[in-house]
Amino acid sequence: MTTLQLNNINKFFGTGTSRVHVLNNINFSAQKGEVNLVIGPSGSGKSTFLTIAGGLQTPSTGSVELDGNKLSSLSKKQRDALRLNKIGFILQAYNLIPYLTVTEQFKLVKKIKKENNLDDQELENLMKQLGISELTNKYPNELSGGQSQRVAIARALYTKPDIILADEPTAALDSKRVIEVGKLFQALAKEQNIAVIVVTHDLRLIDYADNVYEIMDGQMRLNNDLKKKVG
Amino acid sequence: MFLSLKEIKKEKLRYSLIVTMIVMICYLIFILTSLAMGLSSQNTDAIDSWNMKSIVLDKDSNTSLSQSLISKKQERKIKLSNKEAIIGQASVIAKKTGLTKESAQFLGINKNQFIAKDLVLTSGHKLNGNHQVIIDEKFKNDGYKLDDKLKFNSSKTNYKIVGFVKNAKLNISPVIYGNISDWQQIKNLNGQFIGSGIVSKNSNYTTNDSQLKTYSKSDFVSKLPGYSAQNSTFIFMIGFLMIISLIVIAVFLYILTIQKLQNYAVLRAQGIPARTLVNATISQSIILVISGLLIGTILTAVTALIIPNSVPMSFNIPILSSVGTGLVLTGIIGALIPIKLILNVDPVSVIGG
Repeated sequence: MTTLQLNNINKFFGTGTSRVHVLNNINFSAQKGEVNLVIGPSGSGKSTFLTIAGGLQTPSTGSVELDGNKLSSLSKKQRDALRLNKIGFILQAYNLIPYLTVTEQFKLVKKIKKENNLDDQELENLMKQLGISELTNKYPNELSGGQSQRVAIARALYTKPDIILADEPTAALDSKRVIEVGKLFQALAKEQNIAVIVVTHDLRLIDYADNVYEIMDGQMRLNNDLKKKVG
Repeated sequence: MFLSLKEIKKEKLRYSLIVTMIVMICYLIFILTSLAMGLSSQNTDAIDSWNMKSIVLDKDSNTSLSQSLISKKQERKIKLSNKEAIIGQASVIAKKTGLTKESAQFLGINKNQFIAKDLVLTSGHKLNGNHQVIIDEKFKNDGYKLDDKLKFNSSKTNYKIVGFVKNAKLNISPVIYGNISDWQQIKNLNGQFIGSGIVSKNSNYTTNDSQLKTYSKSDFVSKLPGYSAQNSTFIFMIGFLMIISLIVIAVFLYILTIQKLQNYAVLRAQGIPARTLVNATISQSIILVISGLLIGTILTAVTALIIPNSVPMSFNIPILSSVGTGLVLTGIIGALIPIKLILNVDPVSVIGG
């Protein structure tokens, strides 16, 4: 079942001679239960793709639909609510609030989204699975880069989102943790019927992806052959 | 509130320094306000204690009690009720061998009129004869006691202290209440004048003498030498201090908010409503300002306990409460200035390129 649909997306920055065509007629759909990997070098437009997919920016042309809702027809407030309730963002940097302990990162979300989050047992299981159950009272500055990233992953999953949008989620992780995160994404997609979209440089995640897209100079294409080559 | 409290708890040093700054601002404003009030009340304490509404003075006296005289001839055109009292003012130097000389205002009053009757003494008794005086407690602090004998200026006449009265100040000088006949003697008026003016509890009181004019209490007080200029100075000082406080607090809150924009961008990306972040910023400002205000109030109260009696300070709770409320509002305004930054924070900024 299609949960995210991007139709004929173009995105331009700047005007006149300094105008840059960042995304060029992108068509993309993500199905529930699948992990989608978007691979591309820096400046290829993958982060712009992610922000448009998550309703953080609007495309210059084209439309984005999330669970049948056209994002362009929603107000800012409605887009906020949609992100809070349906999207789990995992960001590359600045991903945790520095003055909240690990437990408080979840508490903050619970204060805003009071229902349909992971219950205490589910959260505990998730944290065990991510190897962060001992870190509940630590502040972000007491965590390693990898630990911070795993907490950010747990926080994104806490709201039981329909879709995960991850920006370089394994950038700070060693190979062992990359495998764990890859398996976690796979399990989430299959067991909880979530659509996972990961933009990354990290080819180590290819084994866990159902679809691999390449993005280059603003153009995107499905290239599942990469799985065979890298795998 | 959750976010603001957690941030304060984590960043104790940073917020302690900000609260310290707010404490200093509150303390400075409170102390200056109290000094201004104290000085202001030392001009008018005696007048306030009479509960007067109007005063009759010679119309050519420039609304000055010390420049006004009412003659015996004019007395015939004056009708006094129990709401009026004749008063005679003379500036004197009070002295007693071995004690400090005191510049004071001698106020001659009639023991049968309301000013004498309404005097609230802290010790001693009311006037019941000539050459008796009731004096402000400031004299007590300088070593004067009941039954001591005072002399005024170069006069050889002794005046016996029969009572003390609290907060009896006029034009910043302590007041000496005595009989009106003693005032005539001190002024060497040879019985031609009955007083300097007539104080009334009635705002519409008039006489039939065209040379005498009725002034309201506020007109009379505002013409006390130096009173208006001094008060205006203090009002401007406190006003400017409030404006400077607003700027300083606003700058601090602005810098704090800018430092948090990356975090706010992450929260906005997650769908946390801007309203939550705005509330966190405003509630944090209120917590900081109220904490500073409370500590500043405690410091002011401690100062009030230890400050020497010679320093005129008056802690007028309604006025200090207004100043405190003004500071909280100042903090809220300071917090509102960077709100636009929060509302416009771009979550895209935290997603890498």
